Amino acid sequence: MSEVADGMVLRGWAVDPASGREGAARVAIRDGILEQVVWLTGDDASGITPDGMLILPGLVDFHAHFREPGNEDAETVATGLAAAAHGGFTTVCLMPNTTPAIDEPGVVGRVLAAAAASGSPLRVLVHGAVTAGRKGETLSAMGELADAGVVGFSDDGAPVHVATLLRSALAYAGALDLPIIDHPEDPSLTGGAEASEGYVASVLGLKGWPIAGEAGAVARAIEILADVVRDVPAARLHLTHVSTSASLAHVRAAKAVGLPVTCDVTPHHLGFTDAWIAGSRRWAWDQLDADGRASDPWTDGSLTAHPFDTSLRVNPPLRGAEDAAACLAALADGTADAIATDHAPHTEVDKHVEFGWAINGISGIETALGIVLEAVASGGVSLARAVDALTTGPARVLGRRHGVAPGLHVGELADLVVVDGAARWTVTAEALASKGKNTPLLGRELRGVVRLTIAGGRVAYSAD
Amino acid sequence: MTSEVDRPEAASSGNPSPVPAEVPAVDAPPETQAVAWRHLHLLDVDGLTRPELELVMGTTDAMREVLSRPIPKVPALRGTNVTILFYEASTRTRVSFEVAAKNLSCDVVNIAAASSSVSKGESLVDTVRTVEALGADMLVMRHNVSGAPYLAAEVFGGAVLNGGDGWHAHPSQALLDLYTLRSRLPGGSLEGRKIVILGDALHSRVARSNIWTLTAMGADVWICGPSTLLRGFEAWAAHGAAGRRFTVTSDVDAALRDADVVMALRIQKERMASGLLPSLREYAARYGLTQERLRAASPDVVVMHPGPMNEGVEIAADVAVDPRSAITAQVTNGVAVRMALLYLLAGARRAGGNP
Repeated sequence: MSEVADGMVLRGWAVDPASGREGAARVAIRDGILEQVVWLTGDDASGITPDGMLILPGLVDFHAHFREPGNEDAETVATGLAAAAHGGFTTVCLMPNTTPAIDEPGVVGRVLAAAAASGSPLRVLVHGAVTAGRKGETLSAMGELADAGVVGFSDDGAPVHVATLLRSALAYAGALDLPIIDHPEDPSLTGGAEASEGYVASVLGLKGWPIAGEAGAVARAIEILADVVRDVPAARLHLTHVSTSASLAHVRAAKAVGLPVTCDVTPHHLGFTDAWIAGSRRWAWDQLDADGRASDPWTDGSLTAHPFDTSLRVNPPLRGAEDAAACLAALADGTADAIATDHAPHTEVDKHVEFGWAINGISGIETALGIVLEAVASGGVSLARAVDALTTGPARVLGRRHGVAPGLHVGELADLVVVDGAARWTVTAEALASKGKNTPLLGRELRGVVRLTIAGGRVAYSAD
Repeated sequence: MTSEVDRPEAASSGNPSPVPAEVPAVDAPPETQAVAWRHLHLLDVDGLTRPELELVMGTTDAMREVLSRPIPKVPALRGTNVTILFYEASTRTRVSFEVAAKNLSCDVVNIAAASSSVSKGESLVDTVRTVEALGADMLVMRHNVSGAPYLAAEVFGGAVLNGGDGWHAHPSQALLDLYTLRSRLPGGSLEGRKIVILGDALHSRVARSNIWTLTAMGADVWICGPSTLLRGFEAWAAHGAAGRRFTVTSDVDAALRDADVVMALRIQKERMASGLLPSLREYAARYGLTQERLRAASPDVVVMHPGPMNEGVEIAADVAVDPRSAITAQVTNGVAVRMALLYLLAGARRAGGNP
């Protein structure tokens, strides 16, 4: 069992989206309780800057895969939680594409028991499957899953492709006051696809995953939601790992007319692009030319790594730099409510194979904050907005009743992360607590060293 | 990683040709002389500069001379084990590599994936480690997944030659096409020549590799076919054609007008099943390379096809055997080009190269 955080006084640049405050602060923790937050001014604040030591509410990951039960070679709840704590997260929502799928209450209990047995102080929440066995044929035991405490429903990894079923699910979940978390994809357009359709896929001879394969599914889901909310006002749709400008335009328009739709973007779709499959390792925002067009990796000198690195095979696929920029802009303007890691650890057996045969997914929960801090440093999004999308943003999608209320709340159990934004660390297999080493960042220096993660008043991770 | 990262200083067209590197004396082993070839593997042609392409051409000339001898064989690579690992059916490429390796006095091991442990589910990585443990110095591989040779190169201690991967690349085919064109076109230059690649570009590694090599030599490359089979190439032409001449069109008449070269690509029946084409009949009528269509091209047009051909579909039988057809020469030149590639790669490795 982790130890209670006690007798700690932290100084740094605090960002608290719950109160809307940001600035130099001194934070005191006693006996697990956040005893005091003092906002510093004048000489007291000297030397404290937004690009140095940061004090943030504990991060919330709306979308992670911990592979238990069924694929414990790739990750367990215990190793996933250790990775999450190392990444600065204090709350994780686990996706139900386990084996068996989380489609009935018994499996929820198994996951929560594994979390309790791990001794981790992190809060573990579970999404239930939309359909039985995630087969897309009949509804899961949604009401019983809700009684067992699930916080949303998703067939993530696959879309709910049958429109009538998506419609029923939105209505039924709405009545339970839970969101449907849709993985937007039209499989008839994406079958066998290996990379985002476009220049890079064409040159590399990879089967293209067209923009319409996502944007069409987003538009359809929004239209079905519009149809459902007339009868079930509590129906909610959350679109996860949205990756294209076209999809975000649909979401923006739906929000503008007041539909209850939210969405998230992933760190890898913000920071990486399809050019990485060709061997580029430039951040997405560094690949744009003066006109906002993606530069040509074959002529701009950016190809420094081997092509066809399977750690880059992910669904939805990495897009071009223009789409990555659209995701960052959507994060900045609030169209994207949350940043979700889509942490997808895999074994070497499943990844050290031919690109087109490699399983989809990036192990990302330990590098998410670093990529986001790189995006902040690029100027594409403010620190306050980025922190909101990692904390209060996903909490708003979850709703109040699950008790997730990120913030520097005095008098409550401390739940925060201290990260040195000026320091860098080298991402290596050994440095990752996750069993999944499938990240293209291996060997690379990343901004932002997590010094301390406190969850529920207990020390979940400490670098010291 | 055992392979170096080969990257182009964008093989540029239009620049004056640099002085070509000296062609090696191919009767002798490569390590006995200075050879200006730095690549440890041949996985793609996107990283080949114009001087490197010239070196391959010059070395191929030397191999042609060897092939013209009464005994077309040199001891240059005696004792070198060349393992040919093919995950896809092939006749000409596999046999061509085998003949090339034997002409250089290599020992050749042939593995057809269907009759090996691969059919029992062995991974590519394990298979490659196994063939290396069995003594392979050079690995020629063909695979139906794009990029597979890069994975092999990551684990194999010797040289990997890509014999075709998925839709991605077919380096030796592009180089033999280049060699064939240089010997057919007046003056041996591709500069400004209109070269049409006609057919199913979407699924074609031959088209992709030829785009790199032909544009690097200054040719004006046109990709033509039904729009469903050109998907992604517009983006390539618009985006990545910096300094290269490269046009994509579905208009076969515009493409063939005054063409100096027409390279027809194979059309596969599966394309109908996946909804990309109405029928082979319609394809033949609209895009098949017939004598009538060829009248729009230059009178001295060179006709090519990487094989195997569907005569009467993408190419008419009388066009395939027309005096202007270079299809047989492509096959013959294939052996010489592959001898050159084996020789140059062995040399880079024996010279120590990069680790």
